[in-house]
Amino acid sequence: MSQLIPLFVIIPLVAAFLIPIIGKFLEGFQKVLTSVAFLSLSVLTVYFICAGTGEPLLYTVGGWEPVRGIPIAIYLVADGLSIFMLAITSVVGFLVSVYSISYLNRFTAQNNFFALLCLMMGGMNGVVLSGDLFNLFVFMEIAVIASYALVAFGIEKQELEASFKYQVLGGIASVLILFGVTMLYWKTKTLNIADAGNILRTSQDKSFVVFTQLFLITGFGLKAALIPFHAWLPDAHSSAPSPISAMLSGVLIKAIGIYAIIRLFFNMFTLSDEMAVTITALGAVSMVLGSFLAMYQWDIKRMLAFSSISQVGYIVTGIGMGMIILARNGDQRVAALAISGGLFHMINHAAFKGLLFLNAGAIEHETHTRNMKSLGGLSRSMPITASTSMGASLAISGVPPFNGFFSKLIIIIAAIQGKFYLLAALAVLISIVTLAYFMKFQKYTFFNRQGARDRKKIKEVPFAMCFSMIVLAVLCLGLSLLIFPGIREVVLDPAVRVIMNASEYAPSITGF
Amino acid sequence: MNELFYIIVLPVAAGILLFLVPERAKWIKGIFALVISAASLFFAIRLFRLPAGIVTPDLLSSWFAEGSLCHQLMKGAGSFATFNIDSLSKFITLSICAFSLLVSLYSLRYITKDHQIRNYYPYLLLTAGFSAGTALTDNLLLFLFFWGILGLTLYLLIRGHDEESSDAAKKTLIMIGSSDGIMILGIGIIWKISGTLSISGLTLPTSSPLLVTAFLALLVGSFTKAGAFPLHTWLPDYAKKAPASSTAYLPASLDKLLGIYFLYRICIDMFELNQGLVFLLLLVGVLTIILGVMMALVQHNYKRLLGYHAVSQVGYMILGLGLGTPLGIAGGLFHMVNNAIYKGGLFLTAGNVEHATGKEELSDLGGLSRAMPVTFAATLVFALSISGVPPFNGFASKWLIYQGIIDFGQGAGWTNQLWWIWLGLAVLGSALTLASFLKYCSGIFLGRKQKNLDKAREVKPLMWISPAILALVCIIFGVFASSWVVPRIIMPLHGTFDYTGVWQSGTVSILIAVSILLGIIFYLIGNIKRFRTEDSFIGGETFREEMRYPVTEFYKTIGEFRFFSVLYHQAEKKWFDIYDIGRGMVLSAGKWLSRAHTGILTAYAIWLFGGLVILILILFKT
Repeated sequence: MSQLIPLFVIIPLVAAFLIPIIGKFLEGFQKVLTSVAFLSLSVLTVYFICAGTGEPLLYTVGGWEPVRGIPIAIYLVADGLSIFMLAITSVVGFLVSVYSISYLNRFTAQNNFFALLCLMMGGMNGVVLSGDLFNLFVFMEIAVIASYALVAFGIEKQELEASFKYQVLGGIASVLILFGVTMLYWKTKTLNIADAGNILRTSQDKSFVVFTQLFLITGFGLKAALIPFHAWLPDAHSSAPSPISAMLSGVLIKAIGIYAIIRLFFNMFTLSDEMAVTITALGAVSMVLGSFLAMYQWDIKRMLAFSSISQVGYIVTGIGMGMIILARNGDQRVAALAISGGLFHMINHAAFKGLLFLNAGAIEHETHTRNMKSLGGLSRSMPITASTSMGASLAISGVPPFNGFFSKLIIIIAAIQGKFYLLAALAVLISIVTLAYFMKFQKYTFFNRQGARDRKKIKEVPFAMCFSMIVLAVLCLGLSLLIFPGIREVVLDPAVRVIMNASEYAPSITGF
Repeated sequence: MNELFYIIVLPVAAGILLFLVPERAKWIKGIFALVISAASLFFAIRLFRLPAGIVTPDLLSSWFAEGSLCHQLMKGAGSFATFNIDSLSKFITLSICAFSLLVSLYSLRYITKDHQIRNYYPYLLLTAGFSAGTALTDNLLLFLFFWGILGLTLYLLIRGHDEESSDAAKKTLIMIGSSDGIMILGIGIIWKISGTLSISGLTLPTSSPLLVTAFLALLVGSFTKAGAFPLHTWLPDYAKKAPASSTAYLPASLDKLLGIYFLYRICIDMFELNQGLVFLLLLVGVLTIILGVMMALVQHNYKRLLGYHAVSQVGYMILGLGLGTPLGIAGGLFHMVNNAIYKGGLFLTAGNVEHATGKEELSDLGGLSRAMPVTFAATLVFALSISGVPPFNGFASKWLIYQGIIDFGQGAGWTNQLWWIWLGLAVLGSALTLASFLKYCSGIFLGRKQKNLDKAREVKPLMWISPAILALVCIIFGVFASSWVVPRIIMPLHGTFDYTGVWQSGTVSILIAVSILLGIIFYLIGNIKRFRTEDSFIGGETFREEMRYPVTEFYKTIGEFRFFSVLYHQAEKKWFDIYDIGRGMVLSAGKWLSRAHTGILTAYAIWLFGGLVILILILFKT
């Protein structure tokens, strides 16, 4: 089974390579190939989840065995957390690719679009699977460079400006990350995460570790759009074509931002109290400020982008609380609750934020505007978009029976159990504000009176777009089942276990 | 056992099924909903045969193979599903099912093209099922889940077709959803402190600040749902813009039943209140009564007027439950039922008036009593009930509450010593209610009929049957209050009691009926033919349309009274609306933060490095 791991990286990369060549001659090849490739990735992930062994699966590129316990090959590691992330990337990726089939009809250069999408997917899967620091960095760069190009895909003034800012800030972050990686390599003489973890555990040089950690937090914090490193996100996510926004907000910031933070800070570095507090504080600040900012927006996609900052704050807060409890040797069960709340919110956020961006795309596709003030009354002419976006809005604002309710519930209850009363109160407050701005979105877009524009011209979007939106809406409802013990043990618990037993990661890979 | 399951699952499953039926088949949907609600009423009646106690039903897990994923799933779900069947929850479930039946009967005719809401019937059935679940469940988390869905269906049962109605819908869900969020806090604290989520298994003192916070958080949920001051502000807006059947169903009856039911659970079952909290409850109670009715007095839109009364009446129930004595609690619960009956009825009759005339303002209406006799009679009964006029049911329950307050005054605590304030304000509220219902009834049904209302006719029987049944219940509950209703229905809910004030509802009803009869006889014996009618003398001028004096004019005096005029003016500007205060604060924070996002790249880069430097400084200092 571990032989299948490289497929997650190879399939999208090969697709990205083939599309510009064959797509030139074959009409529609790029769309079919992308969808089929991503579908096969989804099937593979489901297979991995169902087969779920407790042990992490290991693939050594080139088959080079470790020499005297020192790993020399490039490792691809598929443990519970990686597979969990792969589930998010591949399912959302598949739905986005189906959606793009119709959405892209009014764009030229479709080959470039799909090739870049595949490239981004390959990069993200690589980050999630990579077992060593340098490859993590390289795959991350593949993903973000593809995303720079995709943000600028519309090549209008606004898109180019957004992409430029994104590139500059993203570039700075990449340099900071590379710097951190270099520091680690200098100190530990290894790039393998597990190996470095073993060495760092015995290291005494605390200030060096803290210094490195701060560079990495800043770098990955920018990729994850934590305030104050978030400034690129509202521009980039709102300027990209909508399916790409869904990928960026729903998947990319998690796969290369949050995932990397979790992996490095739990599994490589030893947990430290001050770093856990720092991460939680960044998360809480993002959660609060992001939602206040979103409240003030009138551009649908900009509002959704700010909302992503706020929701990422929720995820990071949940995981950070677990980290604090673990670092202080608190109650293990509370820590597990907080972490599973964070991860649960992560998969939920991928579903509803992806869906919301697809909705925004559908609205823009039909009405050619994103300004809420000039919209209205769309629930009549676009029933599917209206009802799916209603579901997503309720899910993100934490209204039962949608999935967001349960993940927020877990995070809040974990915060109370862990005596983080302030965080619990903030989480509730922000959930209220979130509800408020999504109700505003619903009101101005789908209710009210229909805008002055001709109502006959606006109709429901084509089937492929509807299909993706409906599937995601069903996911928004269906993911709430993850709260129940039976299914939680299959999907959520393996990922939580990797984080909870943080120090077991290294031995399970290097063998000591 | 199975009854329990059917009451919740049957309407929910039927509701989900109804989503698949196309909107055009309106009649099929309506009749299907009617049948399902009748069936759940049947099961609710059968529920009374079950003994009281905690029930954990085996949730379908026998349907799936042992060890399969579905089996595991249902087993997991089953660990939350504990239900508490006691006399109160049975009674609430019965009332919920009865209201569902009456409202779906009414909706058959009412939900036409003018009032069409997409998927009205599915939401109606979902509401019925989840409301029953809310009343029956014993697990706080499951309770919160059901409770939250009810807020959602409330939102979905109003159609946002124009600016104002969309605003009302938005405000409703924001306020209800916020209170649900706050309740999570309370439930989390309870879980942390007691380690259990079972409502029946909790008895918490309100000594530590943490527990008081938990209590207040849950109180917010109950108050918002029931619509108590200062969390009531969604209700009048909703009442004004939603279809009358939606308002009659959720805010007027089901939300009241459930909100007060939950208030009972937290005040009586889960927490032991201290003096300060009792004072808070009583204060909120009287404030709700007085402010609600004061706002109602100056309304011109009759549905909004009813909305404010729906707020005002909640005050009595809070007052009753806040007293904490068996008498007060019985009064509060009795008033809860009565209020659901007459307030549901009032909204249904208001729906009839709207259906027949299409008008929304009191000043556009008048003189409909002859054209709509059944609606008028029913409205009159409801109006007298809500104003607390004997022998109707509103009087019976208010009487219990007054007795309860006097009884409460015998206690030693400082809150008890203030009993005369509570009593005085409650009675004053009742008087003002009467005043505002005079306006309501005369404004719509009495006076001179306007020309453009000539076409108004009585609505079809399907629409007046439900209000007529409710009016009948109002009379029955009032006339037989002391002999049958209170001892047989209300006392089993909490406990028996006896009260000092003698009140034999049957005797008094007979006396009243006899006196009315005598009056009619005198009227008939006296020579009617000598009785002459004349138009009002207006200085010899002929009566013209613009000389009409709409009844709303008379009530302007209140609004112009100097002290009140200031308050009303500010209330119009929404100064006292907690929703608008919150919105203003969030928006100004957002505006201030948005100013920082100038779009200048160097600024953003400075934030990035600034953040890094600050982090380094903080972490290396320690």
